[in-house]
Amino acid sequence: MIFRIDPASDQPLFEQLVTQVRVGIARGRLVHGERLPAARELADALEMNVHTVLRAYQVLRDEGLIDLRRGRGAIVTGRPEADLSAVEQAMTELIRAAKAAQLSPDATAALVKEAMR
Amino acid sequence: MTTGILLRRRFGDNHRGRVLIAALVAFSALLLAGGVALSWRRDLPDPVATHWSGTGTPDGFMALGMFVGGMVGIGATLTAAFAVLAAARGQASSTRRTAIGSIVWLNAFLGIALLGSLWIQRDLDDARSTGGLGTVTALAIVAPLLPAVAAALLVPRDAPAPATGPVAADAPRAALGDAERAVWLGRASGGPGSVVAVGSIAVTTVLAVATQTWVMLTVPALLVLLLAAMLTFTVRVDATGLTVRSALGWPRTHLPADEVERADRAQVRAFAEFGGWGWRVGRGGRTGVVLRSGDALEVRQTNGRAFVVTVDGADQAAALLNTLADRSRTAPGGITGHQGDQA
Repeated sequence: MIFRIDPASDQPLFEQLVTQVRVGIARGRLVHGERLPAARELADALEMNVHTVLRAYQVLRDEGLIDLRRGRGAIVTGRPEADLSAVEQAMTELIRAAKAAQLSPDATAALVKEAMR
Repeated sequence: MTTGILLRRRFGDNHRGRVLIAALVAFSALLLAGGVALSWRRDLPDPVATHWSGTGTPDGFMALGMFVGGMVGIGATLTAAFAVLAAARGQASSTRRTAIGSIVWLNAFLGIALLGSLWIQRDLDDARSTGGLGTVTALAIVAPLLPAVAAALLVPRDAPAPATGPVAADAPRAALGDAERAVWLGRASGGPGSVVAVGSIAVTTVLAVATQTWVMLTVPALLVLLLAAMLTFTVRVDATGLTVRSALGWPRTHLPADEVERADRAQVRAFAEFGGWGWRVGRGGRTGVVLRSGDALEVRQTNGRAFVVTVDGADQAAALLNTLADRSRTAPGGITGHQGDQA
């Protein structure tokens, strides 16, 4: 699977990784029992600090999405969401509106987060 | 020496000349062993034992000249086969390394097997009283490993060969922001090859135990190492290019992004195109990690090289590699220095 980070984004790097794993699990791209890449390998490939990756993994563990064990790495324990089609549909609308209003992806995400609080 | 100089003049300082020199040197060693064997003629029974049954007693006999000629003939045939492979399909240095290592191992194996099996028959009146061949066989298998690896390592790595043109326009691309960094990580593992390997390990172990030739346990031991090295590979596409690495750490290879001409998802038939599973050389000189048939990431490189690795999600990997290869063309020396656009 692809992992990506955007240093130009307002979102902290560790959060960007957390979001990707979360979305990957929700969409079923990351399945139960699958092993995430070693923190060092991911950090090396993305030219970032290994502690940033470890922080992302810790957040994911606290959310119950992965299992962190010494020597075994990070194992996905989360399950895909049952049906995201309603959310996807609503999101298409939201994205269209956000683009029309010239909102950046970060700003849109922040609005959604705020509203869900 | 003279041959080497002549060959160098004929081929220039290229890889074909080197392969030919290495092949001739290795085969000369086998010829020398044949000469030594013939010089023992007076001390040897006639005919000599040339084949041993599973229980360790000789069950095949031949005139000495036939035996030496046969072994040298096998050596010549296999040496020629590997030399042709390296010359015709040796665009990648890994192929030439494998071919030269195999040539050295084969000729040394045959030489040791020939001299060893005759050595234990010296001063015998009747070859039927020759003892077992276990030690000789184990020695013949293990002793040539070191010179074979050394010869392979003497083959120089491919020199850096950055592409001069852009990445193929019709190759797939991944959507990636200017400042964005991305990595694709995948895994190639298992496949039918591991079943074959486990089977061979079981059979050779049972044979060694059943015939009580304990030294023959070296064969399954070597197969276990081979299986461990070829069982699981991690595949990584990042800004530096494509890296494929065995879970053991070796073998591994790296294809720099600036040497990638195009990457695609391709369909691979393991047996028909690569003759088996593991780290292979296939038709047309493609090298690759082929653990099963089906979807694979195929990378065309500069100097006519091509590399294949069988992974799931190869379309994503190919798209990202093409995009990162694009980037290596526009920003020589890396992707540092990007400014985030705050518009």
